[in-house]
Amino acid sequence: MAGGELRAGPLALLMVLPALVFLLAIIAYPVLYALWLSLHEVTLGGLAKGQTPFVGLQNYAKLLRDATFWRAMLNSAQFVSLSVALEVTLGLTIALIINDRSARFFAGVNKTLMLLPWAVPPIANGLMWFYIYNPSFGYLNVILYDLGIINKFMQFAGNFRLAMICVVVAFVWRVTPFSVLLLHAALQGIPEDLYDAAKVDGCSAWNRFRFVTLPLIRPTLTIILVLRTAFAFMVFEEIFAITSGGPGDTTWVASWYTYQHAFSYLEIGVGAAAAYIMTLVVALVTTIYILVIYRRVEYA
Amino acid sequence: MRNSRRLNLRLRPVVMSLANILVTLFLVTPLVFTFLAAIQTEKSLVEDYTRLLPSEVTTQNLEVLLFGRADILKDTGFYHLPKIVFQFMHSFRNSLIIAFTTTLLNLVIGSMAAYAIARLPARWTKGFMYANLASRMVPLMVLMIPLFVIMRHLKLLNTLTGIIVALTGFLLPYTIWILYSFFISLPAELEDAARVDGCSRFGTFLRIILPLSAPGIAAAGAIVFILSWNEFFIPFVISSKPDAMPVPVLIASLISDWHVYYTLASAAVLLGVLPSVVLALLLQRYVVRGLTAGALKG
Repeated sequence: MAGGELRAGPLALLMVLPALVFLLAIIAYPVLYALWLSLHEVTLGGLAKGQTPFVGLQNYAKLLRDATFWRAMLNSAQFVSLSVALEVTLGLTIALIINDRSARFFAGVNKTLMLLPWAVPPIANGLMWFYIYNPSFGYLNVILYDLGIINKFMQFAGNFRLAMICVVVAFVWRVTPFSVLLLHAALQGIPEDLYDAAKVDGCSAWNRFRFVTLPLIRPTLTIILVLRTAFAFMVFEEIFAITSGGPGDTTWVASWYTYQHAFSYLEIGVGAAAAYIMTLVVALVTTIYILVIYRRVEYA
Repeated sequence: MRNSRRLNLRLRPVVMSLANILVTLFLVTPLVFTFLAAIQTEKSLVEDYTRLLPSEVTTQNLEVLLFGRADILKDTGFYHLPKIVFQFMHSFRNSLIIAFTTTLLNLVIGSMAAYAIARLPARWTKGFMYANLASRMVPLMVLMIPLFVIMRHLKLLNTLTGIIVALTGFLLPYTIWILYSFFISLPAELEDAARVDGCSRFGTFLRIILPLSAPGIAAAGAIVFILSWNEFFIPFVISSKPDAMPVPVLIASLISDWHVYYTLASAAVLLGVLPSVVLALLLQRYVVRGLTAGALKG
């Protein structure tokens, strides 16, 4: 061996060091700093002058008393459940369609195009759908009008009852390919002879799906559910572009609430407290995610 | 029984082809709408608002953005444009610098860390992996308030450097995770052989592992490039001045501007989407592998 070579331990530390510096500076330190901010009364001016009195848990107490905060959490719950349910059902349906071998050409086209929505910048996606929903010339109105479904142009994103579903649809369009990719990979991992054996035993297509496909893709489904719940909870760009929380407070979600308090009202302490509550929710979901992936189910 | 089966054999390809065509429509429709809006005049969009296809096709919107041509606007009915519109190519350049530098930093720093974890296990390795995974899931919202204060303190607000540093730290956990899963799948015998031949540990990393992991590097590189090209919130908070504005922030500033023309904004979206979409389609195989590996345990 080369003389004077570093032993494995010190070399490993040295190679991890640059990454560690970045993670400490950009993630660990800000997370702790945010905790500090959430326990102090902080304004931009106060921060510059070093006047940030300690207020204990008052910022948190303020949140819990704020009806808009609860409204935002409820809206987030609604957004997360709707979008994750749609992503998974749509994702599984599309994965099954492109996995079918009776229309290989069209399936091939879709496999090539599948990353298209995923690659669109979230804010650009927001703007695209903002225009699609436009009440004076948006393409959704054009299509519905030309098909004779509506007889005059209408509000979508500006409608109290439709706004939430509008942002959900825009978000789901962008993120569904991710679920499709994972589920498609899982479907391809299922040995063909399992289906053949089930067919020989007289299993119907539905029963083959229920008793062969579904149990074998369940680990992947669980991962998607957990991971997507966390990311749907953090949605920001589509809300920002399509509704800005409106109309009224119908689409104020957790991240919008945090953003408004920290960057518009400049109540930095309250914003940090709200962000911290978000972090705790995501941490809970992440813990489940880690438990799931480190106990990956094997089928012998 | 026999008849129904034969029918099934003939019908199935038809049904599945139709289903696949519906999927294609799902994937492309919003982008097609944006394309249609981008290639028509504002007049044709607003006046013939019930028509799906444009009545007046033009490349003027694209020309305004690409070449900053203000002179062609007079005869199109435009009478006022926010200055930011003429900033588009400058923002495009900013976005390219940000995405390239962030990708490079992520690959260099991330591959070293991922190799150490995959091949030089120590007592702290597992702890680092958990911390790395947890870092990946930290909401950007909680980081942004402190990062804004830190960047202000370091005088890095409104600079590309500030954006690049923040983005690199934010995306590193994902890069490490993806590369780790590629490194761990390589057979250890290759390294052992190189070691016996007198190659140092770092030498095996440079000369054996990295070349063999080219698909993994391509996967992580493409994903990081796309994510940093697409990132809106980090530059939005760190940089509010047009000089250091990447494309997503410019696009966002068009939303709130009442004077903006929808066809022109659609053209900006179309051009802003292009680099990520083209890269994703070109490196599709690698991106898919990277995304799959990045969601599961290595």
